[in-house]
Amino acid sequence: MAFLQLNALSKRYGAVDAVVATDLAVEKGEFVSLLGPSGCGKTTTLQMIAGFVEVTSGQILLDGRDITHAKPASRGLGVVFQSYALFPHMSVRDNVAFGLKMRKVPAAEIASKVKTVLDLVRLAPHAERYPRELSGGQRQRVALARALVIEPPVLLLDEPLSNLDANLREEMQFEIRRIQCAVGITTLMVTHDQAEALSISDRVVVMEAGRVTQIDAPYTLYEHPRTRFISDFVGKANLLPGDYDALGTPQVRQESGDGELTLSLRPEKIQLVNAGSGRLQGQVLDRFFFGSQWLYRIHTSLGEITVVRANDGSAPLGNGAAVGLEWPAELLRVLAADEVRP
Amino acid sequence: MSRNGPLALGFHGLVVLFMMAPLVVVCLVAFTPENTLSLPTQGFSLRWFRAVFERADFIQAFYNSLILAFSAATLATLIAVPAALAISRYSFPGRDFFSALFLSPIIIPHLVLGVAMLRLFALMGVNGSFTWLMLAHVVIITPYVLRLVLAAAIGIDRSAEQAAESLGAGRFTLFRQITLPMILPGVAGGWLLAFINSFDEVTLSIFVSSPATQTLPVRMYVYATESIDPMMAAVSALVIALTAATMILLDRVYGLDRVLVGKH
Repeated sequence: MAFLQLNALSKRYGAVDAVVATDLAVEKGEFVSLLGPSGCGKTTTLQMIAGFVEVTSGQILLDGRDITHAKPASRGLGVVFQSYALFPHMSVRDNVAFGLKMRKVPAAEIASKVKTVLDLVRLAPHAERYPRELSGGQRQRVALARALVIEPPVLLLDEPLSNLDANLREEMQFEIRRIQCAVGITTLMVTHDQAEALSISDRVVVMEAGRVTQIDAPYTLYEHPRTRFISDFVGKANLLPGDYDALGTPQVRQESGDGELTLSLRPEKIQLVNAGSGRLQGQVLDRFFFGSQWLYRIHTSLGEITVVRANDGSAPLGNGAAVGLEWPAELLRVLAADEVRP
Repeated sequence: MSRNGPLALGFHGLVVLFMMAPLVVVCLVAFTPENTLSLPTQGFSLRWFRAVFERADFIQAFYNSLILAFSAATLATLIAVPAALAISRYSFPGRDFFSALFLSPIIIPHLVLGVAMLRLFALMGVNGSFTWLMLAHVVIITPYVLRLVLAAAIGIDRSAEQAAESLGAGRFTLFRQITLPMILPGVAGGWLLAFINSFDEVTLSIFVSSPATQTLPVRMYVYATESIDPMMAAVSALVIALTAATMILLDRVYGLDRVLVGKH
């Protein structure tokens, strides 16, 4: 049995199904992300695990123990909130020590544990400061330290990075992963940011409209998205209609439910070759520069296709240039029709 | 930070002048050596302040008001804090009714309340009781506390409470160590507003106080209907000084903009 297990977990608000029969098994030490657009039920799922939202039906098992209806205090989970939820009237040290004081840990042990965890999150010099005197990234780390110091069986992160600016967000992603690996703690993170989910998770759970639609390792999820929605939500994708003989033979030839086929081709998998060669002919509509990459929008007989090329120093194509598109046939994916229509 | 233009500054200046001028005049008149309320005044004297402190009835009335305002504000706060927390975070049958009920004394004229309570207290046979005078004050000042505590309770980050819960805090610890400190500016501000309102209250108190429980404003009012002399100005100056001192204290402890405007 998995360390943290959700069995047919459901939450219903009046007539609205927020989470529908969700099954999930998280192994000990694993970092799992719940990914989905806002309103998909990922935060509700996290809050049910934390105990802040009552479960309508289903079961939550932690290390074999049924905690479905346990009070948050008795679950002993570490929770990091989107707003950080620091106690504004307490210093960093007191914020971090709070959980230990609640557990009636002796003062000397509290002091040493707080010091260890503040060292871990690199905040030891700021122990006496108050939350309002800290930057966003520092507050985030205090929240992390406060959740970790009680040595919880599971760490729950609710959109931990969404209040940080882009540069800091990337830095904190690595920081969270570093700390998670150092402590070896089982972690469940809620995020709407696919890049975040892909970069630091062992596995990603995609949720749509209250249902889990795919659970896979980040690479598998990106390379083999099951549905049109996932293909579009996780990374960029060119979604092309039917007739794939002209496009190269896809690996899997199967008809989806209603007989319509959608093909997905990642923009960075397409190579630009001389006009006249390649699988498809097109004309550059416009181009965008992202520093390390060029993004081209190319008009073809199959519609508009996005191509991303690394900025490798070669001269970029100009607007209006005629160009050929080439890709390895096996990278063209056949998608099932969306199971869930929002 | 945007700056005010000269027109706005001038207007603000006029408003402040309009509000402050009577207070300044009263304070100046209090220092007159003459027998009438006169301004400009000749010389400077503390004789009217001395006169105040020689009046045992005024001293008694001052203590009455102080104890009344202190106990009424405290009781009102004890009622308003749980009420505000309940109204701000739970939906229960009659929620809007309770919310309106708690705030209604602000709308009803004190004169009407005074007459009603005079009649009620007479029927109950508790006229002239200090306890019932205090309860009457609690009724009219609770809305002030409730409004400030409500604003504070709505403004706090609820997830901080959830965080404390998940860290193992029980209900009482949660309130004592997390919720109360977070709404404390609202609570302290509400207590202070209630204190000042109770201390200043005259309309209702005239009806429900007896000579033994007479408050300072009632004493002043009764005195002023008989004679106008600079001693009234001296008493007023002392009341202004006390109020100002309380405000300054609150500003030092929490900051007035936080209490009155709700800034953080």
